[in-house]
Amino acid sequence: MTLPGSLDEAVAALTAMPAAVPVAGGTDLMAAVNSGLLRPAGLVGLGRINEIRGWQYQDGHALLGAGLTHARMGRPDFAALIPALATAARAAGPPQIRNAGTLGGNIASAAPTGDALPVLAALEATLVIAGPGGGRREIPIGHLLTGFDMLRPGELIGYVRVPLLHAPQTFLKATGRTGPGRAVASVAVVLDPARRNVRCAVGAVAPMPLRPLDAERWVASLIDWDGERTLAPEACAAFGDYVAAACIPDPAPGPDGADPGTLPPAALHLRRTVATLARRALGRALA
Amino acid sequence: MTGTGGMGGMTGTAGTAEGAVTAHSVASSALSGGPAEPPPHGLGVSLPAADADAKTQGTYPYAADLWAEGLLWAAVLRSPHPHARIVSIDTAEAARMPGVRAVVTHADVPGDGAHGRRVADRPVFASDIVRHHGEPIAAVAADHPDTARLAAAAIAVEYELLEPVTDPEQAFSAEPLHPDGNLIRHIPLRFGDPEATGEVVVEGLYRIGRQDPAPIGAEAGLAVPRPDGGVEIYTASTDPHADRDLAAACFGLEPERVKVVVTGVPGAMGDREDPGMQLPLGLLALRTGHPVKLAATREESFLGHPHRHPTLLRYRHHADADGKLVKVEAQILLDAGAYADSSSEALAAAVSFACGPYVVPHAFVEGWAVRTNNPPSGHVRGEGAMQVCAAYEGQMDKLAARLGLDPAELRLRNVMATGDLLPTGQTVTCPAPVAELLRSVRDFPLPALPVDDPEEQWLLPGGVDGAGEPGAVRRGVGYGLGMVHMLGAEGTDEVSTATVKVTGSIATVICAAVETGQGFATLARQIVQEILGLDEVHVAPVDTDQPPSGPGAHSRHTWVSGGAVERAARMVRTQLLQPLAHQFGMSTELLSIADGKITSYDGVLSTTVAEALDGKELWATAQCRPHPTEPLDDTGQGDAFVGIAFCAVRAVVDVDIELGSVRVVEMAVAQDVGRVLNPRQARARIEAGITQGVGAALTENLRTTGGLVRRPDLTGYALPTSLDTPDIRIVKLVEERDVVAPFGAKAISAVPVVTSPAAVAAAVRAATGRPVNRLPIRPQAAVGAGAV
Repeated sequence: MTLPGSLDEAVAALTAMPAAVPVAGGTDLMAAVNSGLLRPAGLVGLGRINEIRGWQYQDGHALLGAGLTHARMGRPDFAALIPALATAARAAGPPQIRNAGTLGGNIASAAPTGDALPVLAALEATLVIAGPGGGRREIPIGHLLTGFDMLRPGELIGYVRVPLLHAPQTFLKATGRTGPGRAVASVAVVLDPARRNVRCAVGAVAPMPLRPLDAERWVASLIDWDGERTLAPEACAAFGDYVAAACIPDPAPGPDGADPGTLPPAALHLRRTVATLARRALGRALA
Repeated sequence: MTGTGGMGGMTGTAGTAEGAVTAHSVASSALSGGPAEPPPHGLGVSLPAADADAKTQGTYPYAADLWAEGLLWAAVLRSPHPHARIVSIDTAEAARMPGVRAVVTHADVPGDGAHGRRVADRPVFASDIVRHHGEPIAAVAADHPDTARLAAAAIAVEYELLEPVTDPEQAFSAEPLHPDGNLIRHIPLRFGDPEATGEVVVEGLYRIGRQDPAPIGAEAGLAVPRPDGGVEIYTASTDPHADRDLAAACFGLEPERVKVVVTGVPGAMGDREDPGMQLPLGLLALRTGHPVKLAATREESFLGHPHRHPTLLRYRHHADADGKLVKVEAQILLDAGAYADSSSEALAAAVSFACGPYVVPHAFVEGWAVRTNNPPSGHVRGEGAMQVCAAYEGQMDKLAARLGLDPAELRLRNVMATGDLLPTGQTVTCPAPVAELLRSVRDFPLPALPVDDPEEQWLLPGGVDGAGEPGAVRRGVGYGLGMVHMLGAEGTDEVSTATVKVTGSIATVICAAVETGQGFATLARQIVQEILGLDEVHVAPVDTDQPPSGPGAHSRHTWVSGGAVERAARMVRTQLLQPLAHQFGMSTELLSIADGKITSYDGVLSTTVAEALDGKELWATAQCRPHPTEPLDDTGQGDAFVGIAFCAVRAVVDVDIELGSVRVVEMAVAQDVGRVLNPRQARARIEAGITQGVGAALTENLRTTGGLVRRPDLTGYALPTSLDTPDIRIVKLVEERDVVAPFGAKAISAVPVVTSPAAVAAAVRAATGRPVNRLPIRPQAAVGAGAV
């Protein structure tokens, strides 16, 4: 167990002991250790790296430290900057988990139900990766989550670069109970008035957040960006259906045009849930 | 709010009603029947539990905290398959691992190869056939828990996979899963005229899921070998003598050489401990000659201990045009899992209470408990009674809708009272104030709607900052009436023995009734305080060297063990007062004891207990054995139950009808308790029961696929959190004393569990217009008819 004081020291410690596992909040890692699924040869604790526990502004973006806890992101000053991420952080489990669990950990665990992930996908966040020898490289969040670009030995997620959009954004999550729970489905919607974009990501229904790009473009074309920025309820409902059908498609017909059948009831309910969440998320963003 | 009476909206009368209180409130005068302040001890006051401080501060030792010099750690290898033939078990590699001290399999069980709490049909370790996911195959003792776990994983078991029987309806025609066959019990109840018909007929099919007791502390134990070749097992057993006998038979020892010592019980809703853990533990201690400890993981806990019976119910209710019930026909199928355990009792309760607390002139109920390869089912608070309650109350709602009657009104036209018959032919002789209970919850004011009370933050389904949208939320109100039997049924020899000792001014109770959280230890102290007038009463720890008191089940300890403590205390009282009474030429009844002083009725004589004792110790031991019952005969008839407790619940729910998310806003409860012995404990038991019922109604279901448990963890198995737990309003506790019960008190814990799921289902039905015939209620079943 080492407790480095800087990102570069942490990278050096990981490089020196490749079998070591970095640990931040430990909310996923320690559960795996306690249940005997994981017995790491060593741990590199990230809790003392102050440079990644806060955020800074950088040409229209916020550079968020990977060590930001969910509790910190849930506070009002953060919510004023990136409202959807704050909402997701507040929804991410009971207080004990939010006090310990970090933004970087949520990305590194990459659980399908990770609440920050659809928000980061909708924001098109970029990860700043710290590598050996003080090296830094940037990769889009989607590349990491899809496995298109993986972390290399010794690398750590240092920061998350998120655009400051100065416009409404929402995150909605459906769970099995009123108390804290894993998402059954979640939807993030962000408005980007400068680029006249609506961006949406759906979490928990697939191994990584899904972006319904056609639905985003279609709904962005309906919005009067210079005016009231409102939509008729029917348009929001159609957006919801569009998003849901994109994320949970009808079964494809067989190769010889055979009847593809219908979705099972549970999938239909999930589709209805996504449609409702997307409709409500867009409606609240435009309200 | 405090618990003193006189609050607006309270419907009860003084002496019977507890205020509608949800927060902690102090023991107060409203319950003890008069304006006078209650005495600081004795019955009817909220005496706190003696171990409450230690438990809340985390210093109370549970079995998982125990330690002994030189102890070894055990791990159990469990089957990854629900149904398989074991071709071979090779323990050689595991035994060779450094640090491993013993490996045991079925071949190492010296005594009976089969055990069971009621029917000996379960092997200690599977020998040839594995019958459920998680069945123990072998166990290892090693000097480190990780070594034990790795060694267990290194045991090579060759399986020949067999097709699992997971649908209880298929169990009838499937190949026998067990030499005893797949049908564990069949009860064909016949009551009245099979040709009777009603003008209105409603039918329904209901499915109840698999609730797990999910105790806060998982199973754990420490086994210590004794110099005489016996073994002591320290564990949180709720039925120590039965567990001892079962262990002794498996170890091939006389029962006297096995001792079960009960440690603190971290949560119990029935048969708490998994014998699949205690037995390997004892075997390993005997084999190695060292103390052996095991602390189960949450996953093992979910796989090993008994669950609530998943149940399939088909109902047909006949009624006349006024809504009076004419006939009930029902088929009830309990999924017992692989072994019998307490399925026979669960089925008897399900069949006997299949019509609910209603007067039904004709009833025809077929009940079966069958064997499958699903996780084991057993005794979980309110077993049998809870499943049928959800179904018969669903039928009552259907009937009310068909007749255009208010659901509460329809129920009131049919409720039973003292003197009415159960469909088993047994007359209900105990108090049965069902109509009063229902009226109490019906007339209790409904919680304000958010539009009426805009200051209050509205907690929508889905929680604060959640996805809920006020425009899509519908409120529903529903009723549940439930009943459950107290004590063991069908001829079970219900008996408990207790000893009371007085030295100086201190009394001690020795009774093997386990304090499982039900409050028995506190109650025992109150009983002795009441009778002997001594403040300081201790309750001794429980072990099997004491005379047996039976299982902690069916709320029986208040009755049988409370009754035994009362008798023993009265005997001590007589021994203490007899010499004085003789000396002064008066009867012992004219003497009273209070605050350690003995006083005569006229105040002339006054002495202290210590003086009267004169250094002597007084001991008395007594038994309590309620009146006997008889088994149900082959048409389901017989006086099978000692007593019955009733409860009415009104549930208020908010449903987001687009997402199908449900939040229970309030549960109003009125309960038939006989007599309140400790108001705070009574309230805590009711709140706990309602919360467990809300869990069964909405989220708690241990799901399986092809017999494999899908998510044996507390993320996948969602217990209610404080945000899911509604306001629980105890509207009325009806104190109509049951003359045959000690102190006139009835069981409290089980009947709210039985009744509340039915009430929640009824409320969701009212909110959504959907049939809601499956528990727990899935979101897709709560998407309202008016949803987009």
